[in-house]
Amino acid sequence: MNISINKKLFSEAVHIASRFSERKNTTLPALSSILIIAGDEGIKIRATNLEIGVDLKVEGEIKDDGVVAVPATILQQIASSLTNEGNIILERTGDTLSLTSGTGKSSIKTVSYDDFPSIPFPENSKNRIVISGVILRNIFTSLASCASQSTIRPELASIYFFLEGGVLTAAATDSFRLAEKKVPLLNKGTQGKFLIPAKNVLDIAQALPDDDIILSFDEHQCAFVSSKGMFVSRLTNAIYPDYRQIIPKESIVEAVVLKKDFEIALKQTTIFSDSFQKVRISFDPKKNTVSFFARNADIGESSETLQANVSGSALELSFNHKYLSTILSLTSVESISLLAAGIGRPLIIKGVGDTSLLYLVSPMNQ
Amino acid sequence: MGKKNLQELWEYIMTQVELSISPANFNTWFCSSFIVKISDDGVVYIGVPSQFFKDWYIKKFHTLLLKIIREVSYEFRNIEYLIVKDEHRKLPKETKKTSGILELPLDEFYINKSDNLNPRYTFETFVVGSFNTLAYTAAQAALQRPGISYNPLFIYGGTGRGKTHLIQAIGNQFKKQFQGRKVFYLTSEKFAIDYTDSVQAGTANRFKDKYRQYDLLIMDDVQFLSKKEKTQEELFHLFNALHDTNKQIIFSSDCAPVIIPDIAERLKGRLASGMTVDIGEPDTESRMAIIQKKAALHGFMLSDEVIEYVATSMTGSIRELEGMVNSIVCHAQIKGYAPDIAEVRQSLRSFTRPQKNISVKNIVDKVAEFYGIDQESIYEKTRRREVVRPRQVIMYILREDFNISYPTIGTKLGGRDHTTVIHSCEKIKREITVDTTLLKEIQSIRTILV
Repeated sequence: MNISINKKLFSEAVHIASRFSERKNTTLPALSSILIIAGDEGIKIRATNLEIGVDLKVEGEIKDDGVVAVPATILQQIASSLTNEGNIILERTGDTLSLTSGTGKSSIKTVSYDDFPSIPFPENSKNRIVISGVILRNIFTSLASCASQSTIRPELASIYFFLEGGVLTAAATDSFRLAEKKVPLLNKGTQGKFLIPAKNVLDIAQALPDDDIILSFDEHQCAFVSSKGMFVSRLTNAIYPDYRQIIPKESIVEAVVLKKDFEIALKQTTIFSDSFQKVRISFDPKKNTVSFFARNADIGESSETLQANVSGSALELSFNHKYLSTILSLTSVESISLLAAGIGRPLIIKGVGDTSLLYLVSPMNQ
Repeated sequence: MGKKNLQELWEYIMTQVELSISPANFNTWFCSSFIVKISDDGVVYIGVPSQFFKDWYIKKFHTLLLKIIREVSYEFRNIEYLIVKDEHRKLPKETKKTSGILELPLDEFYINKSDNLNPRYTFETFVVGSFNTLAYTAAQAALQRPGISYNPLFIYGGTGRGKTHLIQAIGNQFKKQFQGRKVFYLTSEKFAIDYTDSVQAGTANRFKDKYRQYDLLIMDDVQFLSKKEKTQEELFHLFNALHDTNKQIIFSSDCAPVIIPDIAERLKGRLASGMTVDIGEPDTESRMAIIQKKAALHGFMLSDEVIEYVATSMTGSIRELEGMVNSIVCHAQIKGYAPDIAEVRQSLRSFTRPQKNISVKNIVDKVAEFYGIDQESIYEKTRRREVVRPRQVIMYILREDFNISYPTIGTKLGGRDHTTVIHSCEKIKREITVDTTLLKEIQSIRTILV
């Protein structure tokens, strides 16, 4: 094998691919390596850890066909140390791969590529949608944090995707709070639902390009195909709980506050939150205020009152402040509305004028 | 086909696969898979975690797996791969087997925590021979009317004669017969430690209550209580408390209660107040029966030749006998077939005691000392009765234990004719079959000589 690639392109591709290789010291060396293929279809860079996989196309000049697998960490370190403009030449002789760039030359011992797994592509070609990479990335990064960290219930450690009537609904919950995002789609015909493991989603989100992406899926596998290449992920094979049941239909009090004010007030009061990270929110429709209160027996207490537009009846609810602050990263609108349905019932937070997002937090016991 | 069979089949497949591919490959691809089902038309469905696995199985392992299952049975026509739901995948991981075939089981050492009894010791595994019939019958009688017929039951005998086995078997049988009644087995040493601990912790009362609740108390090796006066006193009180309420007590010791040194008289009397039986040395036939039984417990049939060799090659403790059997069984397991006599001889070399080179004079001295006569008189041509017997014993021992030729024995013992020696040996040999005191004397002499 003998190929020549632009340094910048090479380094980008390697950075993306190395995310998809197994980072833990696994027993199978092929899984923690990157596979470089030079053939009729051009230069391809592949990596997989059996959960997710990547198949990237890289532009370059092929002088000689061939396949080689090299340890991902080594290749990544080399790629990040490349500086100057120009090309890098990869040449395999025997079981070493030599990389020549400008003045330097390094040789890496290769790994047997026989063991390198094939990267599966979803079988059903009907289930596919086209969606912008920016939107998809936004969904992924914002929802992944709301999914459960524990793997005891694999469905909760996943992001739920639901396609119907030209709308993509994505939801994530860890049973304490829930986030749901809706995005309109161009092609309205596709229907279906699937669950992508949240930790896979984060890795894919880092690698997704901005341009349009074809998302296709079947029962066990989903793929994101762009001009640069293809990313695949295993799907969680479980039934997602019917979360719509727990969303309260009506509310007894609604408050609209500036997101900036909400953020500052939350920051102030969380300093005094106790070991349960409890913050109490009081809605006062008479004074038109929303106040935050936290008390820690060891430190002291603090309260913060916000001017707000409150309609409905007075109510006090306690929350884990961590779950409240998540909303700040979920929406970019200036004011948010809080809708409470009563004591012991979840609080809904929405961005004013932003119908795509719905965030729901369960209250703590008083 | 049941769930268990599927798992067994998969485990078999795994062992076969493990041999054919690298460990890294095996760990990556096979640890989280299992057989989901086998359909009626002979298709084996293997559950795998994801599409990656499915593709790779089809590409790399299909022919290998097919070959393996065809070897198992021609009923299996094909293999299909299924991607299984995540929840279902957890199970086989947890029940991952960790077996080595040659690993010797340690369940022999399993002990029931609540009563300290080792369930391995039962009457079913207890070999009854002429040497222990009395003890066995006494044990059975005690079990029939616990606390009444023989209370306390005191069993004594040399080390490795099966005392512990017998008393634990009583405990286990008692547990089976009278469910709900409490049994407790302990060694006297444990009792002493328990007592000292309770004194130290200031909970002596709780200690008393603890032991008084049992319906059957079995105490092993009471001879170790010698010189522990306070513990003895405590045992004395405990004995009274249990005995008065008709609770069965069983003791074991390596000698009769009257000869246990340094034990308070009142306790001695009480130990001997019930039934006192001794377990003698097992005769060759019993030993053969024991060997057969022990080997059968391990699932082995030994040839009669081997059994006889083992039974005769060593006298003394059954425990050592068991050790020999274990060693033979272990060798057999490694080799995969029952060993023949030559191999047994080889593998038991470590058990046979090294022959000590003791001079004839030494033996004469020891025996003379034992009988309390002057050593010189042995070599003299006297026919006094008190000298003749020891002289014959010496001849017998020299011949039997040290394989010295008759003429040599004759010359060494004051120039006697070899026929005299032959006659003496034959005489002793005849007499020990009827005269138990003589047998005991010779045994005692042997222990001095070793």
